[in-house]
Amino acid sequence: MSLAEPILRVEGVHSRLGGHWLHRGVSFSVWPGQVVALIGGSGTGKSVLLRECIGLARPDEGRIFLFGEEIWTRPLAEQNRARARFGVLFQEGALFSSMTVAENVAAPLREHATLPPRLRDDLVAMKIRLAGLPMDAADKRPSELSGGMKKRAALARALALEPALMFLDEPTSGLDPISAREFDHLLRVLCDSLGLTALLATHDLDTLWGMVDRVIVLYKGRVIADGPVDEVAASRHEWIRSYFSAHSGGR
Amino acid sequence: MRLPALEHEQTAEGCVLRLRGDWCIACLTRVDELMAGLHVRHDVPLRVEAVDLGRLDSAGVMLMVNRLRALGVVWSNVTLVGFDPSRRVLIELIAARLDARPRPRRSRRSMLLRLGRSGMAGWNVARDLLAFLGRIGAAVFDLLRCPRLLRTRELTTQIQVVGLDALPIIALMCFLIGVVFAFLLGIQAQKFGANIFVVDGLALAVTRELAPLLTAILVAGRSGAAFTAQIGAMKVTEEIDAIATLGLSPIQVLVLPRLFAIVLTLPLLAFVGDVMGILGGALVAATQLDITTYTYFERLRVALPLDTVLFGLSKTPVYAAAIAVIACRNGFAVRRDARSVGEYTTATVVQSLVAVILINALFAVAYPEIK
Repeated sequence: MSLAEPILRVEGVHSRLGGHWLHRGVSFSVWPGQVVALIGGSGTGKSVLLRECIGLARPDEGRIFLFGEEIWTRPLAEQNRARARFGVLFQEGALFSSMTVAENVAAPLREHATLPPRLRDDLVAMKIRLAGLPMDAADKRPSELSGGMKKRAALARALALEPALMFLDEPTSGLDPISAREFDHLLRVLCDSLGLTALLATHDLDTLWGMVDRVIVLYKGRVIADGPVDEVAASRHEWIRSYFSAHSGGR
Repeated sequence: MRLPALEHEQTAEGCVLRLRGDWCIACLTRVDELMAGLHVRHDVPLRVEAVDLGRLDSAGVMLMVNRLRALGVVWSNVTLVGFDPSRRVLIELIAARLDARPRPRRSRRSMLLRLGRSGMAGWNVARDLLAFLGRIGAAVFDLLRCPRLLRTRELTTQIQVVGLDALPIIALMCFLIGVVFAFLLGIQAQKFGANIFVVDGLALAVTRELAPLLTAILVAGRSGAAFTAQIGAMKVTEEIDAIATLGLSPIQVLVLPRLFAIVLTLPLLAFVGDVMGILGGALVAATQLDITTYTYFERLRVALPLDTVLFGLSKTPVYAAAIAVIACRNGFAVRRDARSVGEYTTATVVQSLVAVILINALFAVAYPEIK
């Protein structure tokens, strides 16, 4: 791995959920510029781990470092400042339903950046175009958008503050295969050109093969594999083998 | 962080722009000033050089591309020099994406247009309400033909929530109104030594107007708002569509039990209100006006004919129907966003209060005689 400081470091995270241990010592690091996928069966705690990295849920044990600083020991004001440095794409988009797409994208800019309104409008328009939405979507409400357009609008909002790090929870779920591949491609292009680091929880094998540098496999509360896709796919572990063969078996 | 800087040089082959410092979102205002002060000729080739460029993000690139375009520069005449490959990709990507025509600005709407729109909106609400009444009528007709369709469990639950659970608050409110009314009336009546007529005034006011109206207002705020919020939330989560897909009528399942529950319980609640109001009056009469409880009820028997009580109670089913129809219609009108539920719940309370007061006024005008 590179010598640089990891942008995200997860150390020995244990979390309990509903009386049983969901994570029993999860550790990994993500270095700048990497696109890392977190995979695992349903209920292995991918989303919970993402929430813990974002700072929405606190792990019962273990430490999480974002940008070299431990998040949970910092005062709330500092946590919130750190939150302006990463973007999150929630599974259902989590767009504010009472605002138009343009207002949604402008919301983080209003809160965290001091920009004259004219510049802010320009920025919002650019982010919307960059996420691959047509400009007439800007004045629509989230309820008037299709699933794919919602994801794109949510991506535009997540990118609004030029984050260095992105967390994506199932970015392609609920999209048809064509839109899903388009979305993958868009993400990869944005990650490369903006120098983004991304951690995504996903179930989509095509995403893994198509755009990911590295795969982390969660199984029974631990990381059982960590490496490039082809290495992980060649693993002899039973669950990983059946996971990847579920893909080819479907063809 | 280093401040962004821009150098501009006119050479024989064309223009050269040299970028220095951080061109990123944190310095965007400065970048804007730099680009605004720039004058380039748009008919000559343009070289953009990264000399000592620090950070560069999509906001900085966007501003540069936008401002150059605004000066009339054609992007294909621009050559990029000294940029990393990934930055070159970013600049080309943004230049390509921004190629689309700018977003049209929304023009201000004229007064007449807005007046017309709100007029049309009012007309649509009226038409919706009428259509909703029609659907309720059809559902009631179906129910009469086939009584099995009645959702008894939902009906009894609603009766409990609307009626039984509201009993303490309504009893308390009407008791207090009786106390206050008897007290104030008593002060006036004592001046003329006409204490005993407080009973006449109180009984008439409470049973004919106050108890039914107060009960209706409380139920409108309590249950009407709840109906809209429940049905609206179900609309948001597509539960109403799920009901329709099961081959059931949402009106039959959701509206009729609520309508029947409120129409059945409001008269009962109002009667409890009558009794409590009169008891409140009895308390004040005994403690302040030297009227014994025995005398109070003897006088009540003479002063309060049954017809007056029945007239007061007969208004309540009409109030109830108005509240239920308004609340349920607003519930179905909720759009699929979070704010909409709140807006329509507020609208329900306001509209049903107005409806209750209007209906009361109509009754007062239609039957002015007091026995």
